[in-house]
Amino acid sequence: MTIQKNASTAAMSPLERFAAYNKGEAIDRLPCVPIIGNTAARVIGVKVSQLRGNGRLIADAQIAAYRRFNYDVIRVFTDLYTLAEAMGAGVHYPEDETAYLENPAISSIDDIERLRPADPLKDGNLPHHLEAMQRVVKALGKEVPVTGALTCPFTTASFLIGAENLVRLSIKNPETVHLLCRVALESAIRYAGAIIDAGCTPSLTDPMSSSTVISPRLFKEFSLPYLKTLIEFIHQHGKSVTLHICGKTEKVWEAMADAGADCISIDNDASLSGARESVGHRLRIMGNVKPSEVMLQGTPADVRRAVFDSVAQAWDSPKGYIIASGCSLPTETPFANIQAMMDAATEIGWPVAPENLI
Amino acid sequence: MARKTKQEHLQELSDAVLDMDEERTVKAAHEALVEHVDPYDAIQGGLSDGMARAGQLFEDEEYFIPELLMCSDAMYAGLDVLKPHLKQVGESRGTVVIGVIEGDTHDIGKNMVRIMFETGGFKVIDLGRDVPPQRFVDTAREEQADIIALSTLMTTTMDGMGTVVRLLDEADIRDGIKVMVGGGPISPGFAKRIGADGYAVNAAEAVKVARELVA
Repeated sequence: MTIQKNASTAAMSPLERFAAYNKGEAIDRLPCVPIIGNTAARVIGVKVSQLRGNGRLIADAQIAAYRRFNYDVIRVFTDLYTLAEAMGAGVHYPEDETAYLENPAISSIDDIERLRPADPLKDGNLPHHLEAMQRVVKALGKEVPVTGALTCPFTTASFLIGAENLVRLSIKNPETVHLLCRVALESAIRYAGAIIDAGCTPSLTDPMSSSTVISPRLFKEFSLPYLKTLIEFIHQHGKSVTLHICGKTEKVWEAMADAGADCISIDNDASLSGARESVGHRLRIMGNVKPSEVMLQGTPADVRRAVFDSVAQAWDSPKGYIIASGCSLPTETPFANIQAMMDAATEIGWPVAPENLI
Repeated sequence: MARKTKQEHLQELSDAVLDMDEERTVKAAHEALVEHVDPYDAIQGGLSDGMARAGQLFEDEEYFIPELLMCSDAMYAGLDVLKPHLKQVGESRGTVVIGVIEGDTHDIGKNMVRIMFETGGFKVIDLGRDVPPQRFVDTAREEQADIIALSTLMTTTMDGMGTVVRLLDEADIRDGIKVMVGGGPISPGFAKRIGADGYAVNAAEAVKVARELVA
């Protein structure tokens, strides 16, 4: 099949671009997603902490960031802890930086029975995030995919009892870890349902399941079964699933595919060409421009170079490739670098001419 | 039952640590004491050896963070048995002040590095997490530390590492103290840019880098 560049592809909306790309039709450029979280606050000039509990402001920030850069997926995301917070974990909100876990929901396995699945319409900041998703969908849902970040069960479990506790228990007392993952899964399913009701697609993130933290064996025991159930639920509602895991993931790519992911988002500790070779025929791949070294600290020229390198590795992946940062961008990522990523995608264009990428 | 040779005691201690078996390590430590194995040798040739092997498996991606933590639990349990019987304290390789930089509370990585330092023969002063840059400098001065080891998982707090280097300069004690940095967003390039002396990608490498820095 030859793909011709033509005038009708000049200014595709992200939804048009994905629709055409999914069918193997002509597009104007590869989809491109600098994964923007709290950088959105910078776009509208507010402090990160102002986003807390303010669905309207989160939406305004995300809408403005999209309009400024015209990337291909909006992801409503402020931090990883919303679900755990809704289940009782303590989250600290610095004035102008990303929130972090202050204390887990429980400190001892004796308290596991006290944990209840979150009610997305009532608990913690979940209602505000859902409001943000609804607002973004209302404003932009006809032109760009809108997703809502959803932290996966094993990672949420680590916020419920503390990461060090959880990893010890994963060897010492596996049944306890399963109890935690089950209640985290129930929360995740409820929240996924609410995200879908808001008109969005859940966007899965599971950093603790990284091979930088746990072995592929433990991944198969504690991450895979819960991811599978969660992804099945989302598929039943007609949505495709992108699964992000930070750090090293090479040894769990197959398992991520087995879990049912339609697209995996990989970090810079994983190889794009490796992913294309081993699982590119099973799912779409996105990644993996270095969020810190290149996007935060590099120059626009560094970003351009990194995008070209990434595209050279994965543009011909059988199930498709999305140019993206390896992880959520640091809040202070310069706008010029985000723009440089978009510009590089445009410069490469479509069809990709591999000889121009070197 | 035949008495074990000293080498067999050390091997058993090392294996018990490597197998993440806290009870077996404690038992092996008691047995070694009963049969007059020098506690210092039992620590160095047994417990530390087990941790060094665990560190190697970690580098080879056969062990991961849970396994390394369990090995260190076993090692510390064995250490609790042996330490009270130490007659001589071994020559320390140097003193390390370690902590997670201010604004960040992720400390698993730092804890891994601390464990590898301790088993690698360093005296370690752990300031914990969310530590202001000035405290690293003050502690390093008070303890006459050889190394300050800084960790962060977050890009928002990386700059605090540069601040530590600058404060050492201002206090005019930079020359005697090596600064090592590590953590998710840290790259060798970043380490160089802020004027750090060393960078390590993981805990096992960190102890090797530290040894080179104080050699």
